[in-house]
Amino acid sequence: MKKYLLELIQFRDLLLNLTLTELKLRCRNSVLGFLWTILNPLFYLLVLAFVFSRIIKFQVPNYTIFLFAGLASWLMIQQTVTIATASIVNNQALIRRVYVPKMVFPLSNVLSRYIDHAILILVLFGFMAIFKAPFTWSLLFIPVAVLLHFFFSWGLSLITTVAHIRIRDVQHVVAILFQILFYATPVIYPLDVLPLKYRPLLLWNPFYYFVECFRFPVFNSSLPPGRLILAALALTVVTFGAGFFLFYKKEKFFVFHLS
Amino acid sequence: MEKTLIKTSSAGVKYFMNYEDGAAAMPRGTIRSLLERKKRKGFWALRDVSLEIRSGEIFGVIGSNGAGKSTLLKAVAGIIPVTEGEISVDGTLAPLIELGAAFNQELTGAENIFLSGSIYRIPRRAIRENFDKIVEFSGLRRFIHTPVKNYSSGMFIRLAFSIVIFFKPDVVLIDEVFSVGDAVFQQRSFEKMLFFKERGAAIVLVSHDLNLISQICGRALVLSKGRASFLGKAEEAINHYLQLIRSREGLEEDAKGPEPGALAAAEDSRRWGTRKVEIVGVDFVDEKGNRKNVFSTGDYFEARLSYVSHGAGVKAVFGAAFNTIYKMLIYGPNTLEADFPDSLPERGTVRFIVPRLPLFEGDYLFSASVYDPSLTVAYDHHEMMYFFRVISRGGRDFGCVRIDSRWEITAG
Repeated sequence: MKKYLLELIQFRDLLLNLTLTELKLRCRNSVLGFLWTILNPLFYLLVLAFVFSRIIKFQVPNYTIFLFAGLASWLMIQQTVTIATASIVNNQALIRRVYVPKMVFPLSNVLSRYIDHAILILVLFGFMAIFKAPFTWSLLFIPVAVLLHFFFSWGLSLITTVAHIRIRDVQHVVAILFQILFYATPVIYPLDVLPLKYRPLLLWNPFYYFVECFRFPVFNSSLPPGRLILAALALTVVTFGAGFFLFYKKEKFFVFHLS
Repeated sequence: MEKTLIKTSSAGVKYFMNYEDGAAAMPRGTIRSLLERKKRKGFWALRDVSLEIRSGEIFGVIGSNGAGKSTLLKAVAGIIPVTEGEISVDGTLAPLIELGAAFNQELTGAENIFLSGSIYRIPRRAIRENFDKIVEFSGLRRFIHTPVKNYSSGMFIRLAFSIVIFFKPDVVLIDEVFSVGDAVFQQRSFEKMLFFKERGAAIVLVSHDLNLISQICGRALVLSKGRASFLGKAEEAINHYLQLIRSREGLEEDAKGPEPGALAAAEDSRRWGTRKVEIVGVDFVDEKGNRKNVFSTGDYFEARLSYVSHGAGVKAVFGAAFNTIYKMLIYGPNTLEADFPDSLPERGTVRFIVPRLPLFEGDYLFSASVYDPSLTVAYDHHEMMYFFRVISRGGRDFGCVRIDSRWEITAG
């Protein structure tokens, strides 16, 4: 394991190059280039905000900020995992011909996604200023929340990546599951619109904890309750540990499943 | 000084059959194959190979197709894990296997230099310092800011090779790379190899080119069906290898693909045509009519194309072609030149005879075809589906074909 980590450090230049390449290629040959990474979720946000504050009226003050915070948290996990799932299969040409530690592929996917997410969070802060949401010391928890998201989505990506190598349907299944989970997670609606009897179900939804951890400092101007933080932390440790270990054990044999 | 850089001890690589057909076969048998995992049969692509390769050595690996040469290289490069035994490599490694694999098609040549550099673990600074030399060596200065997807295959390889050349590897693995690029580039690459050797690198060279092996390798390994059949001086290894294929006379391993005389699968991409006239078999024979697959330079060579014609009185033109294993056409004659009956017998054998085979040592691909008399409609075309080998020893001329010629000198 120690050797494995040392080797990853030796390949840090490659990791950096792959991450930058991904960002660079997205800008090439398009007029608005990098702006699209922000415009895309922003339009999604505006549509949702319009529908749920004008047509279906949720009784939430400052609904746009509520929604934006939830959406930012959700996208951090959903987009990252959906994209990184195919990371090994997409790079099979390289893997079959050159030796590199396979971890660089999902990790570079995750990293480049989090650069996008960081920009989106800056935009969120801009929105907070526009919509006059209070800036409080509790916002200092945001970096911690992002780190939790980072390791959780990285770990989850590693599990789906390994599964996707064996069965190529996994990527589609993951995409569909996320679509369902989006509505099962209190991103667009506040917790209290749910009938009481369904609320305990939420406790089984891991994404609930991450959304709340991220939204509390932004929307409620307070630190999230300790039990939410602990739950998110426990989920992160377990998921990341399992994902990393699984990937570490299996990566030698990926080459046999690629063609 | 002489340090062991590559060491393999009883290394073996086992492939599993359903790994082989990979993703394509997945949908049908996924659930079943998951349940039957334990029953999977594997085959050993490499078995029980023990070697030690020292610094300053150029080590050759020879063997028929499918003998495990590429598997050995990939296992040494760390691309494929060994199933048993051990392989250890000391120092930085430059795998020249399928060059340019590290490239991203969308990136420019310059960007790819940095990307490949990081794949081979060359420090960023070293690449920046050598950047101009790399571009210079590749001869691609004008195109260095063009995406490599627009490169020709030759340019692609030249750039890839130039990158590897400049990072001073301790171990170089080469799989037939000297077959690419123009003669000048090949010569320069060759000199670079020798320069590495002088610097104390270990070089492993896989090649079908026995002349090259005997010229530059000290020792060589002969692989046969995944096992080490001989390990020793290059000259002796080549003799051993020639004996091996002569004794087999049929190259069993190669025959698995384009089996001489056997009808290839109809959906083969190397075969097309309306099948109005069908070539049902191609055999190579000697003057006594014995089937064989290995000829010597100057031997009698005959290819027998058995055909079946569907429909009476069909007119047709038969063709044959010789290609090098690098797909270069050497010669492609057809029966328009010959005195041939106007309409074909319903079934028969067309004999293509070369009284003295002018080809030099090496492997050759053979195409057989039958067309309509205007050569516009293919009835049945077998593109490079057959294969034979030519062996020769001695001789002072070089190349792949002997051209009937002589020298004269005139004074004054």
